[in-house]
Amino acid sequence: MTTYLLRRLFTSILVLFGISVLVFSIIHLVPGDVVTAILGREKVSAQQEAQLRQQLGLNDPIPVQYWRYLDRALHGDLGESIRNYVPVSQAIAEQLPSTIELAFAALLLALALGFALGLTAALNHGNWVDTLAMSLSVSGLSIPTFWLGLLLILLFSVSLKWLPSISTGPGLAGLVLPALTLGLPETSVVARMVRASMLDVLGREYITAARAKGVSQAMVVLKHALRNALIPVVTFVGLQLASLLGGSTIVETIFARQGIGRLAVQSISNRDYPMVQGVVLVVAVIYVLINTLTDVTYTLLNPKIRLQ
Amino acid sequence: MSAVPAKIQPRYDAPGVRVLRRTFRNRSAQVGFAILALLVLACACAPLLTRADPLAIDPSNTLQPPGRAAPLGTDGIGRDVLARFLYGGRLSLWVGLVAIAIGGLTGTSLGMLAGYFGGWLDAFLSWVTDILLAFPDILLALAIIAILGAGIVNAMIAVGISFIPAFMRLTRSSVLAIRETSYVEAARALGASDLEVIFNHILPNVLRTLLVLVTLGIGSAILAGAALNFLGLGAQPPTPEWGAMLNAGQKYIRDGWWLTVFPGLGIFLTILSINLIGDALSDAVAGTVVTSEKK
Repeated sequence: MTTYLLRRLFTSILVLFGISVLVFSIIHLVPGDVVTAILGREKVSAQQEAQLRQQLGLNDPIPVQYWRYLDRALHGDLGESIRNYVPVSQAIAEQLPSTIELAFAALLLALALGFALGLTAALNHGNWVDTLAMSLSVSGLSIPTFWLGLLLILLFSVSLKWLPSISTGPGLAGLVLPALTLGLPETSVVARMVRASMLDVLGREYITAARAKGVSQAMVVLKHALRNALIPVVTFVGLQLASLLGGSTIVETIFARQGIGRLAVQSISNRDYPMVQGVVLVVAVIYVLINTLTDVTYTLLNPKIRLQ
Repeated sequence: MSAVPAKIQPRYDAPGVRVLRRTFRNRSAQVGFAILALLVLACACAPLLTRADPLAIDPSNTLQPPGRAAPLGTDGIGRDVLARFLYGGRLSLWVGLVAIAIGGLTGTSLGMLAGYFGGWLDAFLSWVTDILLAFPDILLALAIIAILGAGIVNAMIAVGISFIPAFMRLTRSSVLAIRETSYVEAARALGASDLEVIFNHILPNVLRTLLVLVTLGIGSAILAGAALNFLGLGAQPPTPEWGAMLNAGQKYIRDGWWLTVFPGLGIFLTILSINLIGDALSDAVAGTVVTSEKK
């Protein structure tokens, strides 16, 4: 097991190194001259152009530039925005909590609704309730997040006037619609997993034995089946949380909500390359770390792997 | 004894036919095919269904709700929504197809190379794939757009590249399994070159595995393309495209619900129909594999 864990950590370090190379390369892969691309039609003096080139560190050889980028990044310095001159790490630190809050809220919602839907479908296996629940699930998987968000605004903000369509400032009301938008497609995935897992567990011999002993249906489900059906879903939670960070891009844009997803889109539109690099790097690193942590936890918890 | 003649009959292309037959028999897939055919036909025959110009502005006729003159209403500058829906659908579907062609061809080729030749090439390509997979959701496509700049062609390329890892991984694992089969060894023993083995023996078998990924991938690529267009990073005004139409309609959400509902419905129905077909296809492939193994 130790060999497996060490190998897993080594792979993650290699991937993190690759991510740093790829993110660093963004600025160098821009077709033509990156400074011309940034300035566009802006009229600037040759001196200002040279200053921007200096700020981006483009005058040094590429290996030197990469080494400096990596060294600074490891010390938490991701450069400075070329639009508003704010340190990139400071901008991300300001926006990240809002994205994490949204991702957690969406995940909680997906788990609660997904469990209810999946459990109902499994307990009504083969009848119309199951068909209806699974049809809802396929629809949830097919609905584009950006359309779902707009439909929710149409219903809850424009028609019913219950919830705000813009998610600014603290408070739960502004979080409900964005969390629903991000969470509902995930609900479908959770529902499908819970249903499949429950159907598998409910067919096992120990469930039949428990029933034969006269244990009530509620006890069978709650005490015996649900606990075992939870294992694959728990593994999935870690992976989804990381994925939701990426998915927040669209939701934050629709609801004009603070967050790194919206920051990424704005930076791309503004051609603010240091900011784009910073956001992409931070999200990818978080994603890899969560994935590694999930794998390691799973290995430590799963006796089958632990004994190997 | 009666089963013997059936067993000795050649069944080389039978699994593919069986997969399609099973898929067509599935009720959900039939619904999916019907919806998709209707949408594709409507978009392809756009000039026959509407005479309105999708780009023609009419300031005297703005934000008209759906009615006899404009079946899906008009937008904020008086353009016909039905015409924009039909012509925009063409572009949305194209984005998905072109992107999946880019991702599929590149990913499959790289997966073949990695799986067949192994060694350092496999290690390097697998490492690159792992790196690309570390960008969640549409982040990789966003990073590529940051490099290439906004635009519809760049959106297709960005979505296409983000599909390379999935194709590369699946192809590689299939090739690893097929490479060790006796018929590939036999072909090599008979003196077939690497290229002959890859194209004549491995590729046809890999394609069957890829069928489901291609089908579901087209849906995901249309969705990712529409998302980039929605974010304003793909098709630029006044080009009609479902995602871009939703973006433009967002401004009028209080006065023109039809600008939000119809383009989104187009994307939703397309993805839903492709998912229904993909699910049935996946079941059919799994069923065929089980049946073949039993035999």
